Amino acid sequence: MSYSAAKTLPYHIELYRQLKRKHTAFAYAFVVSLPVLVAIAVKFGPSENSGEPTRIGSGTTDLIGLATNGAANFTVTMLYFATPFLLVTVIALFNGDTVASEASWSTLRYLLASPVPRTRLLLQKIKVSLTLSALAVLITPICAWFVGLIAFGTKPLQSPLGATFTNSVAISRIAIITVYLAISLLFVAGLAFYLSVRTDAPLGAVGVAVGTSILLSILDAITALGKLRDWLPVHYAFSWFDALATTIDWSAMIRGASYCFIVGTVLFALAINRFAHKDVTS
Amino acid sequence: MKFRGLQVFVASIICAMTIALFPIGVDASAESSEIVETSPGVLIDTSKYLPKKLPAPAILIAHGFGGSKDSVEAEAKFFASKGFVVLTWTARGFGESTGQIEMNSINGEVADTRALISYLARSKDVIIDAQGDPRVGIMGSSYGGANALLAASQDSRIDAVIADITWSDLQQGFFPQSVERSQVSGPFKKVWVGTFFSAVSLQNAYLGECGSFSQQWCDAYENAVLQGKPSQAEKDLLASVSPINYASSITAPTLLSQGQADSLFPLSESSKTAQAIKKTNPNTPLSMIWHADGHDGANSQATYLREQFLQWFKKYLLNEKLEFPVFQFTRTNGSISLQDSSVIPKVFMSDKLPFESKSQQLKLVTPTAAAIYPIGGVPGAISALPGIGSAGALASQLLSSFAGFSPAFLPGQSGFLESAPLTEPISVVGPSSIKVRITSTQPDATLFFSLVVRSPSGGINLPNGIVAPVQISNISTGGSDVVVNLPETILDASAGDVIAVGISSTDQGYETPKTSRFYSVSPLSALTFHTSVATAAQSSTANILWPLGAVASLFVAFVYVRIRRPKIAPIHENSVALVEVDNLSKIYKDGHQAVSNLSFKVQRGQVVGLLGPNGAGKTTALRMVMGLIFPTQGSIYLNGKSVYPGSPALSNLGSFIEGPGFLPHLSGRENLRLYWRSIGRDDEQHLEQVVAITKLGTALDKKVRSYSQGMRQRLAIAQSMLGMPDLLVLDEPTNGLDPQQIAEMRQVLKDYATAGRTVIISSHLLAEIQQTCSHVVLMNRGQLVSFGPMEELLTKNQKSQSLEEIFLELIGDDLVIGQEKV
Repeated sequence: MSYSAAKTLPYHIELYRQLKRKHTAFAYAFVVSLPVLVAIAVKFGPSENSGEPTRIGSGTTDLIGLATNGAANFTVTMLYFATPFLLVTVIALFNGDTVASEASWSTLRYLLASPVPRTRLLLQKIKVSLTLSALAVLITPICAWFVGLIAFGTKPLQSPLGATFTNSVAISRIAIITVYLAISLLFVAGLAFYLSVRTDAPLGAVGVAVGTSILLSILDAITALGKLRDWLPVHYAFSWFDALATTIDWSAMIRGASYCFIVGTVLFALAINRFAHKDVTS
Repeated sequence: MKFRGLQVFVASIICAMTIALFPIGVDASAESSEIVETSPGVLIDTSKYLPKKLPAPAILIAHGFGGSKDSVEAEAKFFASKGFVVLTWTARGFGESTGQIEMNSINGEVADTRALISYLARSKDVIIDAQGDPRVGIMGSSYGGANALLAASQDSRIDAVIADITWSDLQQGFFPQSVERSQVSGPFKKVWVGTFFSAVSLQNAYLGECGSFSQQWCDAYENAVLQGKPSQAEKDLLASVSPINYASSITAPTLLSQGQADSLFPLSESSKTAQAIKKTNPNTPLSMIWHADGHDGANSQATYLREQFLQWFKKYLLNEKLEFPVFQFTRTNGSISLQDSSVIPKVFMSDKLPFESKSQQLKLVTPTAAAIYPIGGVPGAISALPGIGSAGALASQLLSSFAGFSPAFLPGQSGFLESAPLTEPISVVGPSSIKVRITSTQPDATLFFSLVVRSPSGGINLPNGIVAPVQISNISTGGSDVVVNLPETILDASAGDVIAVGISSTDQGYETPKTSRFYSVSPLSALTFHTSVATAAQSSTANILWPLGAVASLFVAFVYVRIRRPKIAPIHENSVALVEVDNLSKIYKDGHQAVSNLSFKVQRGQVVGLLGPNGAGKTTALRMVMGLIFPTQGSIYLNGKSVYPGSPALSNLGSFIEGPGFLPHLSGRENLRLYWRSIGRDDEQHLEQVVAITKLGTALDKKVRSYSQGMRQRLAIAQSMLGMPDLLVLDEPTNGLDPQQIAEMRQVLKDYATAGRTVIISSHLLAEIQQTCSHVVLMNRGQLVSFGPMEELLTKNQKSQSLEEIFLELIGDDLVIGQEKV
């Protein structure tokens, strides 16, 4: 007998199992379609023929108004559009669906009885779903940059804070933003994964995670809550704006990234603990 | 009842939030008014606010120009609630107080303040340091700030000073001159001074054209407006109320606060006072704050400032051990709110005052800038004006970004001495200066210098519209060489931007010449500027603590998961059976007892049938054998090794339980392949043998989604046999199979068991069990009813040779026949 727990559910097998799913492709198509649709809407949408360059939104110096300035600005604006809902949904999908869908297909019990140790199963699942999530966050700016390049050409990144960055600086700033986004979304990933372990209904876990994120955003918008809002992980969703200043003030980003990381870790740990003690009846 | 519990829960949350959001106000501190005669004929209207605990240190709060003691009431109540006796008063010449305005003269308003300190010394509510010397701090903004500084210079009884947005040199405030070491006064700041003067003269117009101003000051104003420059007497008068001339006597800890949005008393005023104090008393505790507010009004930072002021008084009046940064400044371009695009100020701190930091040089590449001055100065540039100062500057920045036009720099009337595009970002914090040669087609020149950032898109950023006026006379034909002190500022430039010295010949806020002329300005030196090594104020330690916390959380999570993991039962070495179920019980969370005290042993080579009606606990028992469900009590051993989730003993067990489970989007073959790759075994998988059992043929390469129930069933049984494990556990394997397939399955299972392998089958098809199994475990209501070889069971029972009848007899009336398992 040559059984070894370390060989069960290898990373690449789990990655293959997830990549083969239609919904993975749909999620990435979603992410890719955002910049394409926005670019098409701006390029071929009804224009007022005022002779001025086309703009999105009503402002001229805010982030959205600057979107059509060039590839770099377009990328930052797409990240702004993607942060609150699109990426949250996609990451909730990857992390919330992964265990619950195995339960709903009945494959979970066969994997566990084969046996894949429970903690190992979850760790492998977490690795793969975080890989898929990171890929989605990474694709967003890359795709937006290429779409922006084709539609609006390269121009220096104009920050709504008044600063202007050359393309090489702009790329480093976008890289900082992307890394920050990836870390700050760990909260959503952890929440969705925890729910995924608690339920056998895949879309239930995804929906509740997205709903919670929206609810917290609404709470965050209530200024009367004052300092309490500092403890909402979504409070830091847009702290990456600080990376658009001439000199970056890291404090909010460090706090936000660390806090979301901590909340994510706690939720993942709760999920593993919960799953280790669970009676699998699905 | 449950619903009611929820209601109570929601109600209590709402209550808690209401309390959190609307805290019951700090109890209103006692307030009493009194008229104090500070000098003959001068009656000062005062208010005293007492804290709860007495005696306490006192704070004097002086109000701004045109205000009264009521305008600092909120401030007074705040400090009283924090444990200080607060005394506010209306300065002479304002409100209910009598006397004439003397602009904080030493013998006028400052003497009033000293009399009020003596008044406090007589109060038993105030802590006394020595006879007649109360523990007292003084603070004020603008007019009140100058009073605080001057009083501190005259009265050593003052223990702490805070002066906000006030002047250091009043002549510089009214006739600003930015040429270093110049004897010539600068251009008259006519709009601001007019606003200042009329605030009082119009208010008290019934007293005559001077209002409540003293005659001396009224005459001085009239002369300034008519002449556009001060006489020597006026210079002396302005100097007599300028803190810079008294700063050498200030020994109390002093906090100087100045606003960036202030074209009346710009940041340089605080630097001048600070330098004067440092020069004579280098050991006097001195801190400086450059906030985002000011006389032009921009970003209110009232909460932040109030907190800082409180810290200052706590440190120096209550002797609390607090760290107070030497220099704090607010960057207004740090972050913007996404809700309304407004700028969120960010506070930074440093351990050096801006003029103490090392200076840096930046070469300017423009050889000469030229500017025309039109007759009478019309049209004139607008940099900052009272009230609209900052708004104007903001508008000009926005306009210049897109139209290449800024109202602070009119075409033809302005020019720029520019640097090359920056290769790395520069952050200017503090003073900067440049030596220039100025030529004029007239013998004199009036110019407005500023430090700006021009971005590649053409936008010009002139922070808060602050300019440094320059006035020189007796210019020779070759021009005059002068060092110009540019406005002290906080300015950020990124790589690719250009830093430039902006020069304008007109400005509507100032008195400018009547005749037209033509100016040229050439740089003779590099631009000297200061920068500040600063950290974000609120998070200097948090910047390290948060990431440490994140790393720690990973560690804690690891430990938590390790500690909390389920306990593993010890190995049962004496067990010889392949499967040993020992006193097994399971009670679900809802209280349902599915299995109770179940014990049986299965030896190698046996084909065991697990029988029982629906709900007998068959599936629960099998799930426990597979490590899917935790037993409430008892244990299971496979080959003597205990079974728990993920137990290696399970690797020798193939299972089919409660229906098939496959990835619907993959083919049958791929499902088998991935399953085999997932279960951590690398011995012979016997794929062909197993696939033959399924009889799927070419359907094996179609997606499982398209399979019929029977096909899935056979694929699942094949999956359970992958690798030919020693033990096969099958739960209702014949569901959904037709009679012929059932017969084939029977043979498959018999063949499987021949090689010493063991099979456990649960089924409700009794005839099927009778034909297939060698042993029987009979269960009912979670309990073992009978266990033994099939033949024994059949022979023991004389009445019948049919398992079905024996079954009915043993189970009795409990059986519900003909119901499929759900």
